[in-house]
Amino acid sequence: MEEEEDQQKLPDLVKELVHRLLSQSLPPNPNSPEFQNSLRYALRILSSRLTPSVAPDAAAIADSIKRSLATQGRSSEALSFADLYSKFASKAQSVNNKWAVIYLLKIISQDRRVTTNTTTTNHFHSPPLLPNLAFSDPSKPWSNGALLLSKDPENRRDIALREFLDLVKEENEVSEEVLVRDVLYASQGVNGKYVKFDSEINRFVLLDSVRVPRSTRSMVDRLCELGSLFKKVSGYISHSMDRFPAEDVGTVGQAFCSALQDELSEYYKLLAVLEAQSSNPIPLVLESVSSGNYLSLRRLAVWLAEPMVKMRLMADLVDKCRVLRGGAMAGAIHLHAQHGDPMVHEFMKWLLQRVCSSLFEMVRRWVLEGELEDIFNEFFIVGQPVKAESLWREGYRLHDAMLPSFISPSLAQRILRTGKSINFLRVCCEDRGWADAANKAAIDTGAEARRGGFGYGETDTLESLVDEAAKRIDKHLLDVIFKRYKFKEHCLAIKRYLLLGQGDFVQYLMDIVGPELSEPANTISSFKLSGLLETAIRASNAQYDDPDILDRLRVKMMPHESGDRGWDVFSLEYDARVPLDTVFTESVMARYLRIFNFLWKLRRVEHALTGAWKTMKPNCITSSSFTRLQHAVKMQLVSTLRRCQVLWVEINHFISNLQYYIMFEVLEISWSNFLSEMDVAKDLDDLLAAHDKYLNSIVEKSLLGELSQSLYKSLFVIFDLILRFRSRADRLYEGIHELQARITESSLSSRDQNKSRKQTNDKSADQGSWIAEGRKALTQRAGEFLRNMEQDLDSIAKEYSSLQEEFISQLPVQQHVDLKFLFFRLDYNEFYGRLCPSI
Amino acid sequence: MPREIITLQVGQCGNQIGMEFWKQLCLEHGISKDGILEDFATQGGDRKDVFFYQADDQHYIPRALLIDLEPRVINGIQNSDYRNLYNHENIFISDHGGGAGNIWASGYHQGKNVEEDIMDMIDREADGSDSLEGFVLCHSIAGGTGSGMGSYLLETLNDRYSKKLVQTYSVFPNQMETSDVVVQPYNSLLTLKRLTLNADCVVVLDNTALNRIAVERLHLSNPTFAQTNSLVSTVMSASTTTLRYPGYMNNDLVGLLASLIPTPRCHFLMTGYTPLTVERQANVIRKTTVLDVMRRLLQAKNIMVSSYARTKDASQAKYISILNIIQGEVDPTQVHESLQRIRERKLVNFIEWGPASIQVALSRKSPYVQTAHRVSGLMLASHTSIRHLFSKCLSQYEKLRKKQAFLDNYRKFPMFADNDLSEFDESRDIIESLVDEYKACESPDYIKWGMEDPNNMMTGEGNAAGSLDPNSVV
Repeated sequence: MEEEEDQQKLPDLVKELVHRLLSQSLPPNPNSPEFQNSLRYALRILSSRLTPSVAPDAAAIADSIKRSLATQGRSSEALSFADLYSKFASKAQSVNNKWAVIYLLKIISQDRRVTTNTTTTNHFHSPPLLPNLAFSDPSKPWSNGALLLSKDPENRRDIALREFLDLVKEENEVSEEVLVRDVLYASQGVNGKYVKFDSEINRFVLLDSVRVPRSTRSMVDRLCELGSLFKKVSGYISHSMDRFPAEDVGTVGQAFCSALQDELSEYYKLLAVLEAQSSNPIPLVLESVSSGNYLSLRRLAVWLAEPMVKMRLMADLVDKCRVLRGGAMAGAIHLHAQHGDPMVHEFMKWLLQRVCSSLFEMVRRWVLEGELEDIFNEFFIVGQPVKAESLWREGYRLHDAMLPSFISPSLAQRILRTGKSINFLRVCCEDRGWADAANKAAIDTGAEARRGGFGYGETDTLESLVDEAAKRIDKHLLDVIFKRYKFKEHCLAIKRYLLLGQGDFVQYLMDIVGPELSEPANTISSFKLSGLLETAIRASNAQYDDPDILDRLRVKMMPHESGDRGWDVFSLEYDARVPLDTVFTESVMARYLRIFNFLWKLRRVEHALTGAWKTMKPNCITSSSFTRLQHAVKMQLVSTLRRCQVLWVEINHFISNLQYYIMFEVLEISWSNFLSEMDVAKDLDDLLAAHDKYLNSIVEKSLLGELSQSLYKSLFVIFDLILRFRSRADRLYEGIHELQARITESSLSSRDQNKSRKQTNDKSADQGSWIAEGRKALTQRAGEFLRNMEQDLDSIAKEYSSLQEEFISQLPVQQHVDLKFLFFRLDYNEFYGRLCPSI
Repeated sequence: MPREIITLQVGQCGNQIGMEFWKQLCLEHGISKDGILEDFATQGGDRKDVFFYQADDQHYIPRALLIDLEPRVINGIQNSDYRNLYNHENIFISDHGGGAGNIWASGYHQGKNVEEDIMDMIDREADGSDSLEGFVLCHSIAGGTGSGMGSYLLETLNDRYSKKLVQTYSVFPNQMETSDVVVQPYNSLLTLKRLTLNADCVVVLDNTALNRIAVERLHLSNPTFAQTNSLVSTVMSASTTTLRYPGYMNNDLVGLLASLIPTPRCHFLMTGYTPLTVERQANVIRKTTVLDVMRRLLQAKNIMVSSYARTKDASQAKYISILNIIQGEVDPTQVHESLQRIRERKLVNFIEWGPASIQVALSRKSPYVQTAHRVSGLMLASHTSIRHLFSKCLSQYEKLRKKQAFLDNYRKFPMFADNDLSEFDESRDIIESLVDEYKACESPDYIKWGMEDPNNMMTGEGNAAGSLDPNSVV
């Protein structure tokens, strides 16, 4: 009954509505034909089953209203609308079809706007409030697409579409929606219904059995690449994460994974949105939808274009980095950073900043604090536990494989040295002062303010930080070495004691240990020698030296073989101690030892020669005693003495000029070069290099080098010969003194005889003959002795001159070291040049 | 165990130059006139104990014996500012104080008489040293005490300390002015014999040359003894620097002398020094290179021994050995270059019978003595031209001897008693043979020299003309 009432009411309501609408432009006349037309049209529309194409979603419509308000710049109205809508939605319980109400309001407001824009004169026949209903204007029948006529069998377009749809369906076994969904699945690495992962070719493919047009298939294939890339990236991430905390991932790897993960979550967000859109049905080709929130394969291709580039890049990186770690990984990533595409460039920069942050933090800590915090062995500097003395040389080294290419090798060297300096200061010098230097450096470069906050792309900052820190720390280190550990003083002490520069000390030492060293090596107590060393120090000017220096000077007995004399095994050593043992390492000290042995031997020979001179010195032969000698013996004496003297002259010339050469051309020049290099040294490496150069130059020039071994050997043969000469000369003079004594004795007795002869005058003939006979025997023995000695000396002289000639003739052909100086000195008055013009 | 050296200063001249020497050493080591180490003298690096011994921590006493037969000079020292420097037990003045009257024989004879006293003093000094290296005798060869008593001491030392070195600084008389000592040629000859036979090294200080240098180089119109003596003290102190400031080489007297005296008999050294200044000129600091120094040292005008050689002889003269002691701030790298230049320009004529070279010793300068020159050099050299000095002595002796002049003064003493003048003849022969040996050194055949007549070689007996084969001398 009520229904009937409604039925009855409806025409009245329609009539009333039409009347109202028309009354705005025309005087209401219920019986006019216009009124009747409009009424009829309205009834027809109402009786048709019209449906709006919009989704019956109140919220969506409200949203679109809000958005349109906002885009028109009426944001406050948009806000108030939103407020009103929420009240409407929550409070108006009684209203059933809320969305329809709002939709109606929207349409009306749009219509009103159109009305104000268009002149009413063109539409006098159509009611301005219902322009869309005006079928009398066929030029734009579906304008605005607000309403769609469907299911209207009279609509021919509809019929055509139906036919098209049938065709499409015939061609596509699978609808595009399904394919889109599958592609989206594939993009997350999941198998879809038709798109599945083919592990053989390692990518997602559309199943062959599915019948789709070739274009669709290729499109799907193209889109599916993303899926395989994603699979690779996410696979890498999960693999790496799984392995953590195993050591081969490392912090750089973790950073890389987390950066990739972040990038993937962005990607997931996109996928989520796309997924949402994919649920919207795809309108048919000619269907037009105002919202367009649906996903076709083509749309998907657009959506996924950018993620595809990134994903491809990431997959590429993952491929490259799969086996790499730490610095090497950062370096590999860096290789991709130089890219023309700004998007890629930005992305890589962002990625590298993430990846390198731990690396740069390591650099910062290393350079400023000397800490090597690298549990995963990722840093390009590796340390190894060594003794303090080799900390500098061997404690740390560059691990080239871990050196990222954006850090140049020279910078890496500086980084290495700076941290090494800090560690050296800390471990070897027990110094705390470096912290100030490091702080200052950090403040100066602003690195302190952003603790841990500089990273990739700020290589300049890094470089200036390293430079600044290196400069200050190296300076501090050198200060410590020079001032606190008195490097120069110790070098000088080594020069004075090990290189025999302190002449008086060496002399006394030679004097007092000499007799001891002539004993067989195995009978010598090094304890006693140490005592003698102490005595030599006390007796010479060495006593005024720093006690610390003297304390480091020790006697060292080299390992000896049977038959060795003390001379062969005795040497001095200098205990450099930490931290100077970094400079004076064992091998360095071994070289000093060789130089010492050479110089000591040279000194010994010189000592022997001056000793020989002392026995034959001017006032030793009181010649008057020989006046009574027979002529021939006298001749023999003269000739033997001359032989001895001349040989001495030659040998002494050789040895003393060798000494001068060693002093001026070797020791002093090397030392003065060393001093000037020491002054300009900027870091410990410079200092080490300078010292090495100094030592090398001494070794080379003193004939101790590899290349002058034959020279060195012949020199030692000469030395031994000289020692032999000394003992010969001693014997000669001993013999002469003995002779002298005998003669004096006999001449005294003969004088007595003379006196007694004067007195007694008998038996004179007997006695005289007896004396004469004694003298004769004496003369004979003297002559024999002298002849033998001269022969000995002759053979020594011959041997010597052949040895020396051999030695001298080798000098000019020494290419590797300038021995011209030595030759020049030896042949200063061109004696050898004259003697042997070939030289 | 410093290689101690005991200084014996004998006679007027010996004590005067000795005094100058000690003044200089005190200045260089920062020791006051009383022998107390100055407060500023803390820089170390020097060896005081070669020439001084330490009485207590701060008190240094020279290892010196002051010996004279007359009290004048020594009294002068004892009344001077330096009276507390010496050990008074080391001063010997003969009781009668009459001197030697410029007669060698008197000095020699008196020396013999007081031998015991003096040797006691020497023994005591020697016992006070750890490793005595030798003796240095300062004397003149012309007077009575220095020559006569010095000669006696030389013989005694040679006897008693034959292993020790004996070096002398012997002042040769000025030949340019007539000496008040008429018997000077006798004295010189007799002393020269002892210097030849009983000394290991004689540094010849020729008063003629010292005067010339004072006049020509220092522009003093009438140089006093004090002025020439300061030259002597400069030379003496410079020649001992390497002993007092130890370095790599030449740290003891043997090492220093051995290379200088390759032939035992030719042990007379001449000296050269540069730059020569007297105090009033020392106001401009001049920059001097090693080469400058070494070149100047080879110039005759800087050499403190007169060469009486004629031009022809002079061109034959050769260096047997040279040692340059260069003091001051020297770059050792310059040494080689200087040696090279000198050889290129043939500035040195060396012996031909053996290898020889210029030895260079670099030594520190005393930080306590301000000098006008940053670099100074002393040359010690054995040069054959010194034979002309001895020839001169010989010829002067011959003149006097021919006249039989003043011989009575000598006959009063035992050595010449009974008109036994063989000592004169023997000395003359020895000097002559010395001259010959020097001459022989100029020849490349020195090695064979003297084999023809060893009598002459060893003793100078007989053949006065020398044994040198005239053909072997070029």
